Amino acid sequence: MSPIDRRLITHMNWGLVAFTALLFLAGVANLYSASGVRMEDGIVVSTFYQKQLLWGLMGLGGMVFFMLFDYRHMKSLALPLFIVTMILLAAIPVFGKVVYGARRWLPLGFMNLQPSEVAKIAILIMGARFLSRSREPLGWKGLFEVLALGALPAGFIVMQPDLGTTLLLLMLLGGITLFHGVRPGVLKTCLVVVPSMLPLAWFRLHDYQKQRIMTFLDPGNDPLGAGYHIIQSQIAIGSGQLWGKGFLGGTQSQLRFLPEKHTDFALAVFGEEWGFIGCVLLVVMFCLFLLSIFNTARDAKDRFGSYLTVGVFFYFFWQILINMGMVMGLMPVVGVPLPFISYGGSATLVNFCLIGLVLNVSMRRFMFKTS
Amino acid sequence: MRIQFEPEGFQPPRAGLILLQCIVAGLFFLFVVRFWYLQIHRGEEFARLARENRLRQERIYASRGLLRDRDGRLLAENRPAFGLALVREDCRDIPSTLAQVSEWTGIPLEQLTAKFNQDRQRVKPFEHLLLISDMPFDLLARIENRVLQWPGLEIVTRSKRNYPQGELMAHILGYVAEANEKELEDDKDLNLGDFVGKQGLELVLERRLRGQKGLHQLEVDVLGRQLNKKLVQEPVSGENIDLAIDLELQQVAWEALEDETGCVVAMDPDTGKLLALVTKPSFDNNAFAAGLSLKEWTALRDNPRHPLQNRVIQSVYPPGSVWKLMMAGMLLNEGVNPADSVWCTGEVALGKQVFRCWKKGGHGRVDMMRSLIESCDVYYYQMSDRFGIDKIEAFAKASGFGAPTGIDLPHEKSGLVPSKAWKRRRFGEPWHRGETLNVSIGQGFTLVTPVQVAAFVSALMNGGKLLKPSLLADEDPTVRSSLPFTASGRKMILDGMRLTVNDDRGTAKVLRRPDVVMGGKTGTAQVTKLKMVGEQRVRTEDLAYEHRDHAWIATWGEKAGKRLVVVVMVEHGGHGGSDAGPVARRVYDRFFGPPPGAAPLVPAGQTAPAAPAAPATPGVSAPGQPAQPMQQMQPGPATRPAAPAAQEQPDRQDMQDRPDRPDRQDRQEEGLRTVPTGRSARPAGRDRAAGRGAEASEVEDAREGQHRYDPDTFDPDADSPDGRGGDDGVVPPLRRFQNVAPEDGQ
Repeated sequence: MSPIDRRLITHMNWGLVAFTALLFLAGVANLYSASGVRMEDGIVVSTFYQKQLLWGLMGLGGMVFFMLFDYRHMKSLALPLFIVTMILLAAIPVFGKVVYGARRWLPLGFMNLQPSEVAKIAILIMGARFLSRSREPLGWKGLFEVLALGALPAGFIVMQPDLGTTLLLLMLLGGITLFHGVRPGVLKTCLVVVPSMLPLAWFRLHDYQKQRIMTFLDPGNDPLGAGYHIIQSQIAIGSGQLWGKGFLGGTQSQLRFLPEKHTDFALAVFGEEWGFIGCVLLVVMFCLFLLSIFNTARDAKDRFGSYLTVGVFFYFFWQILINMGMVMGLMPVVGVPLPFISYGGSATLVNFCLIGLVLNVSMRRFMFKTS
Repeated sequence: MRIQFEPEGFQPPRAGLILLQCIVAGLFFLFVVRFWYLQIHRGEEFARLARENRLRQERIYASRGLLRDRDGRLLAENRPAFGLALVREDCRDIPSTLAQVSEWTGIPLEQLTAKFNQDRQRVKPFEHLLLISDMPFDLLARIENRVLQWPGLEIVTRSKRNYPQGELMAHILGYVAEANEKELEDDKDLNLGDFVGKQGLELVLERRLRGQKGLHQLEVDVLGRQLNKKLVQEPVSGENIDLAIDLELQQVAWEALEDETGCVVAMDPDTGKLLALVTKPSFDNNAFAAGLSLKEWTALRDNPRHPLQNRVIQSVYPPGSVWKLMMAGMLLNEGVNPADSVWCTGEVALGKQVFRCWKKGGHGRVDMMRSLIESCDVYYYQMSDRFGIDKIEAFAKASGFGAPTGIDLPHEKSGLVPSKAWKRRRFGEPWHRGETLNVSIGQGFTLVTPVQVAAFVSALMNGGKLLKPSLLADEDPTVRSSLPFTASGRKMILDGMRLTVNDDRGTAKVLRRPDVVMGGKTGTAQVTKLKMVGEQRVRTEDLAYEHRDHAWIATWGEKAGKRLVVVVMVEHGGHGGSDAGPVARRVYDRFFGPPPGAAPLVPAGQTAPAAPAAPATPGVSAPGQPAQPMQQMQPGPATRPAAPAAQEQPDRQDMQDRPDRPDRQDRQEEGLRTVPTGRSARPAGRDRAAGRGAEASEVEDAREGQHRYDPDTFDPDADSPDGRGGDDGVVPPLRRFQNVAPEDGQ
C-alpha cells in the first residue's frame, strides 16, 4: 500500500468530523461557563475546560490512531482485546480505587484508568465481529450467545456499581442485534418476557438506584436530593426561555447547588445560557451527528464495518437519550454523561476513538481487493 | 491489501436502516418538544423561580434517642441549644457581620474568621454555617432582636445532649461531640456540626440512637426571607434505649467506693446483665458534650489517677488470690482429689529461690477447701509445679481470661494469661519453673480485668455459661462459651467461697449476713514499683501508697432466687477483705435490703470492732525480708520508709504468736487507719499497676493511632514514661519469681 492513498482522504466522512468538532467546542465553551459559576462562589478556580481541551487533544490522537490501520484487521483482534478487558475488569475489586462510593478506577500512577470505558470499545468490536458472521436473522441460540457475550462484562461493571455503563453496554449490544435482525417469533416473545422480568431486576438494585427510580416516578418527593437536582436542572433550563441568558450569563443559576453540573448536568448550564434556540440547535447537531454515522453504516463495504458503525451509533444515541432525558426530567437519574458536552477524561478519549473507528470504515468503503 | 470483501457485495439490512432513521427522528422530536415545554411553555414560571426565588433545603434534626436505666430513669436526654449561624448567600458584607458578632459575643474576630474560613469549604452558600453552637441565655436575649438587622445571620435551635447523672454514669454512657473530619468522610449521613457518639454506649449505639434527619424545602427570596416551607420528609427520632443498669445500685456502689481509686461491677449471674458498673475517679461527660477546652482535656488526660479510664474493662491487674478459684477448678479437672492435702510450712524452696506463703508460719495441713478459705499460697505452689504452665494457660483461657468479654463498650482490654510461647515472643527467653509458681497465685505476668472476674464468677453460679456482660435491658443473654468446670467442681468452688465468708478463719467475713447465702474470695494484687527506687524526690508517704497492694474481692449472694455477683477492685487498697469487702457489702445491702436486726454497714470498715491496736503497715508490700536474694531490685529497707518497714516485722510476729488466729481483717483495717498520710496524700506520681505496661505492649492496643485531642485516642500507657518499654512497666522476668509471694491477707 502506498504511504497514503488519496482516496482514503476523499472518502472520509467529513460531515462527521465537522459535527464532532462543533459539538466538542460547544462542550468546552459550556464548561468554561460552568467553571465560571464556581469562581463566583469563591471556592475553587476550576480548570475543567482546560483539562477537557487537553483530553480532546489526546482524543484526537486516539482518533487518528484508530484510522491508521484497516478496520478489518480488528476481526482478529476482537477476542484478545475482549479478554484483556475482562482481566482489567476483574482486577478492579482488588486494586480499584473508590470514588464517590463506587470502585471503578484503576490507579496507573499518572492517571486513573476506568476499565469500563475500555470495555465499551471491546464489547463493540466483539459484538460486531460476532453478529457479522452471518446475514441470517438471529434465532434463540444466536440471541443467547449475544446475551452471554454481554453478560460477562456487564456483570463486572454492575458490581462496581455502575448501573449507567452496564445498561449502556447491554443496550449497545442490543442495538446492533436489532439492526442485524431477529426472527419475528423470537422478537415477539422477547417483547413479552423481558418486561415481565423487570420486577426481578428491581431486587438486585442498590438502594440508591431504587431511590432514583422512585424519585423519577414521584419527583416531588425525594429526601436524598436527586429529585431536588432534577427540579433545579429543570428550573435552570426553563429559565433560559427562548433566547437564553447568554454565554456566562447563567452564573446566577440554581445550578451552583448541583455537585455534578460540569459532568452529568452540563446540559442544564447550556440550556440556561443558550435558551430554546440554542438547545434546538444542539439537538439538531446531535441528530446530524448521528445521521452522519448512519451514512457510514449504510455505505460500508462489508458487514463487519457496518455493524461496527452501528455499534458506535447506538453508543452515542443511548447516551444522548439517557442524559438529556435525565436532565430534563424524563428519566431517572443515571450517571451517564452527554457526549462531548459533559466533562470527563476517559469518556472524551473513548468518544474520539470511536469516531476514529467510524471514519476508518468510511475511508475504506470504496477499496477493492488489493491495490 | 489482502483482506477480502464479501464477494456478493454487502447490503445492510433494510429494516435496520429504517430503525436507525426512525430513532434519530424520535430523538429529535422528543427533545425539541421537551425543550419547548420547559423553556417556552413553562419558561416564565421557571424564570421567575430562578430570578426572584430560590428553593433551598433545610435539614430537620432528628432527636437522639434517650438512654434510661432499667426503671426508666433518664440517663441521657436532649435539651435545646441556641446557636448563631451565618448564611453566606444572604450576607451582604461578611467581614463586618463577623466583626459585629465578635462585638456582641466577645469572641476575638480572628477566631471567628478562622472558624468561618475553615467551615466554608463544607457548608454550601445557602446553608447555615454555625458560628456559635451554644449561646448562653443572656447573650441570646441581648442579640435576639438585633440579629434581624443583619441579613444572613440567623439564630438556630439545635438539641444538645445532657447527662443528668454526670460522672456517675460517664464511663458507661460515654459522650457525644462534634463529628471530626474523619467521621464526616466515613459517614455520608453526617453534616458538619453534627454530634456523634465518641465514647461508651453513645459510640456503640450510635446507629440506633441517631435517627434520621428530615428535610424541609424552603422557597426564599433574594434576601433569604422565607416565603414558604414544605415538609419533604419527616425526621425519624432515634431509638430510646433502656439499660440494664440499676441507677440506685450504681449510686450505692459509687458512694461505697468513697474517694478510692477503683471500681465495682455488679452482674446478674444468670443473664450477664450489669446492674452497676462504677469506676472511680470519673469525669463529667457533660463537659465533653459542651466542648472541652484543650486545657481541660489535658488536665483530664494527665491526671495521675486517670479518670478517663474505665477500670472495669480497660484496666488490667494481677488477680491475686481471686485466681485461686480458677486454679482450684483446674486441679479438680486434672484429677486432684480435693481431700489431698499439702503441708504448708510457710514456704517452698525451688532451686535457690524461696517462695513464701503470705502467712509466715504456714497453714499446716491444707486441703483444697482450706486452701480456698485461708488462701494458702503453698498449696498452689506445690500443685501448680506438678502440672505446669501449659495446663494453667489452657484452663485460664477457657475460663474467659486473656480475652475480651465482648461487652458493648469500646476499648476493652483482654488481660494476659502468660504462656511459654508468649514469654519467648515477648522477652526471647524460655519459661522458668518458678514463674509457674507465681502465676499459680495470680501474680507474675497474669493480668485480668474486673469484668472478666465478674463473668467468671457468674459462670460458676449459672451452670458454667460464660456470658457476654450486657448493658442493655432488652438484650438476650449471649453465651460465649462454657466453663471447663464439671458440675461438682463448680459446686466445690462455690462451697469454698461460701466458707470464705462463713468460716471463722475465712477472709471475707465482712460479707456475712444471716438471711443471704454469700460467697466470696478476696485477693491482694502485689504492686511492684521499682522505678521509684532511688528517686529521692518522692516522699515516703507517697511511696507507701504506691506500694500498697491492690485489693480485690469477687463475691456472690443468693436469696430466694435473687442472685447477684459483685466484684470490687480498689487500687492500692491494701487487702481485699478489709478494703474491697465493705464496698461489696454495701452493694448487697442495697440489693437484698438491709440485713434483719442489724444496721446496714455504713462507711467502709466501721462495722468491724476495733481490734487490739497493733501497729501494722498498710498493705504490707511483699518484700521487706532482709534475707531475700536480689533484694536490691525490690524497694528494700534502704529505700523504703523506715517506719513501716520496722513495723512490718512486729506485725508478722504478732500474727504468728496468736494461736487463735485473730480476725485479721479487722486488724488490717485498724492498721490502715494508723498510717494517715498514706491515705490523705495521694501521690503525684503515676499509680498504675506495674503490669499494665506489659499488657499494653503485648496486647494490641485498640486505642492507638487515633486523633490526638479525642479522648478515645487517649492511651495512658503511652503517656507514661514508665509505662511502655520502661523497666518498670514491663516487669523483667527474674524479678517476680524472686519475690516472696505477696502476703495474701484476704
